[in-house]
Amino acid sequence: MSSIRLEGLSKSFGAFEAIKSMNLDVRDSEFLALLGPSGCGKSTTMNIIAGMEGPTAGRVYFGERDVSDVPMTRRGVGFVFQNYAIFTHMNVRANLAYGLKVRGTPKAEIDRRVGAIAEFLQLTPFLDQPSAKLSVNILQRLAIGRSAIVEPAIFLLDEPLSNVDAAFRAVMRTELKHLQRQFKQTMVYVTHDQLEAMTMADRIAVMDQGVLQQVGTPLEVYNNPANVFVARFIGSPGMNLVPATLVERNGALVADLGTAGQSRPLPGPIAAAARKNNVRDIWFGFRPEGVSVAADGQGLAVTITFIERIGSRTIVHFSAGGTNGKAVFENDVPLVAGTNAHLVPDDTLVRLFDRQSGAAIGGV
Amino acid sequence: MTSIAEPKATDRVAAPRADTRLGLYLTLPAQILVLFIAVFPLLMQLYISLSDWSPLTGRGWWAAWSLWNNFSNYIDLAMEGRWWGALWRTVIVMLICVPAEFLLGLALAILFMDNFRGKRVFYSILLMPMMVVPAVAGYMFFMLFQSGGPVNNIASALTGQNVAIAWLSSPSLAFIAVVVADIWQWTPLMFLILLAGLVGVPDDQLKAATLLGANWWQRFVTIMLPRMKGIIVIALAIRTIENFKIFDTLYIMTGGGPGLATETISVYIYKLTTNDLAWGYVATIALVILISLSVVLGIAISRQGKAGEVAR
Repeated sequence: MSSIRLEGLSKSFGAFEAIKSMNLDVRDSEFLALLGPSGCGKSTTMNIIAGMEGPTAGRVYFGERDVSDVPMTRRGVGFVFQNYAIFTHMNVRANLAYGLKVRGTPKAEIDRRVGAIAEFLQLTPFLDQPSAKLSVNILQRLAIGRSAIVEPAIFLLDEPLSNVDAAFRAVMRTELKHLQRQFKQTMVYVTHDQLEAMTMADRIAVMDQGVLQQVGTPLEVYNNPANVFVARFIGSPGMNLVPATLVERNGALVADLGTAGQSRPLPGPIAAAARKNNVRDIWFGFRPEGVSVAADGQGLAVTITFIERIGSRTIVHFSAGGTNGKAVFENDVPLVAGTNAHLVPDDTLVRLFDRQSGAAIGGV
Repeated sequence: MTSIAEPKATDRVAAPRADTRLGLYLTLPAQILVLFIAVFPLLMQLYISLSDWSPLTGRGWWAAWSLWNNFSNYIDLAMEGRWWGALWRTVIVMLICVPAEFLLGLALAILFMDNFRGKRVFYSILLMPMMVVPAVAGYMFFMLFQSGGPVNNIASALTGQNVAIAWLSSPSLAFIAVVVADIWQWTPLMFLILLAGLVGVPDDQLKAATLLGANWWQRFVTIMLPRMKGIIVIALAIRTIENFKIFDTLYIMTGGGPGLATETISVYIYKLTTNDLAWGYVATIALVILISLSVVLGIAISRQGKAGEVAR
């Protein structure tokens, strides 16, 4: 069992900064998802943890041990590659046994452990088959088994589910979580799929352009995004952000959204934080899920541009003072595309972001 | 416009036969060409090899039947010491050169997997011997190994004594010189092919093996070598065939001498052809070599095919 600590980690490829001074703590036995869009530096971070690449600056600790200079052969991390990197010239058994064999484990012990892990991952029927012809679903389990058999304290997974079909992905999400609970490894899971991150991770680390944006539990990241990027990136669809100006009205702070009208008085804590920071120009943020339809003259004046009815829910696309947004309703709503309507964001779900820095105002 | 008719059930049955015939017509020119460039010379060779025919007889080759000699060419060949000697020397050269070129080429290829300064320059320099015309290479080594040549000069400078070894006049040293020249010229080809093979080894698999704790040697044996098996067989096959035919460099350096010390099969055939004009006999040798090489390589490649099946 081992925690991971990244201290002031930076990585540059020539002039390109892949990671910018990153600090991250992964707790012992924690399942941490490293989430971000393509090219945000999450895979590079993973490669540095595994020792495949050296950082330009900064240190990597496993527990209290500084492993920055330990070569990848001896870091002892389990790693599942995006394309699984199965040794296709070997059969399933040889693949599973590989890690033990190169360590010189006695044959009887290898056989026992290969048998056990194959049983656990339901690979027993395939043990003597050549690995090159197996389906992706089996390769996936084989890749996990091959790393898990040496019982690494730290397990890194690089988008392992991106190649499997949707149905199997749902199964594997549960399986992986189950596997991690079983072995209690510290797991770092790289993904660009927020659904995977939200469902599996204990905590999510959101990255963008080489910068760690926020670390928190799935709900923290969802409810209280630290900045505009996280607000937009997390949630499907992401948070609505409308440019606004804060104004005092009748002793309360409200957001003036221009032609879209004014918001209701902002909740106490947010208003207090905004007053304290003395910000005026903000992004007025609210989740598409936290919107209700209001009577005329109340809430935000919007124009409905498009309505998607997908059965379980209804997604309403609107334009509020020139800014496009979405609202998601559980049931059908009596709105018509092309008409004007009034929407009211739920007070408790309103978030403000400084338009200059992009950072959240209060609440985090 | 009768061909555009309603499709009938029988058309479907008839179609494959029509396709076959069309295919035959389309490939006919190529087949005739192959007949002339491969089958005909082979049959001609077989025909001549069964006779005492030589251009000196004054008869056309087609009249070789009149000089039919009851397989005596084949019997003579089996009994001839010079032939067996040449074959033996050819095999020895092959057994030294091919493994040496392979190991050197592999070592160089492994070195070139890493990045180092001046890699491109070294790469070009390394490939240069391969570009040299073999006859020119032969002349170069002929000069190098003269008793007053650079090899002895360097040896003199290193030892501080006057070294004047007559490399090409001593049977064993001439043999060494010939082997050195071949290794010099053809290691680059091995290097090139093996480097292509090494580059083709999936990086992810090597990383996965490393992360599982495999050291360099373990990775080499368990991942790189099995992955390169196909290309190694090809490299060895190419060089074995080529080396078996070793001629130009060698002939210019030693002419097969001193005595018969470096006379390989090609040199032997060359002499028989140009000096003795024993063309019926030459045809016999050529056929025997063709058949034996085909059998050996056929076995090697089919075994590789089976191994490849498992690997894939």
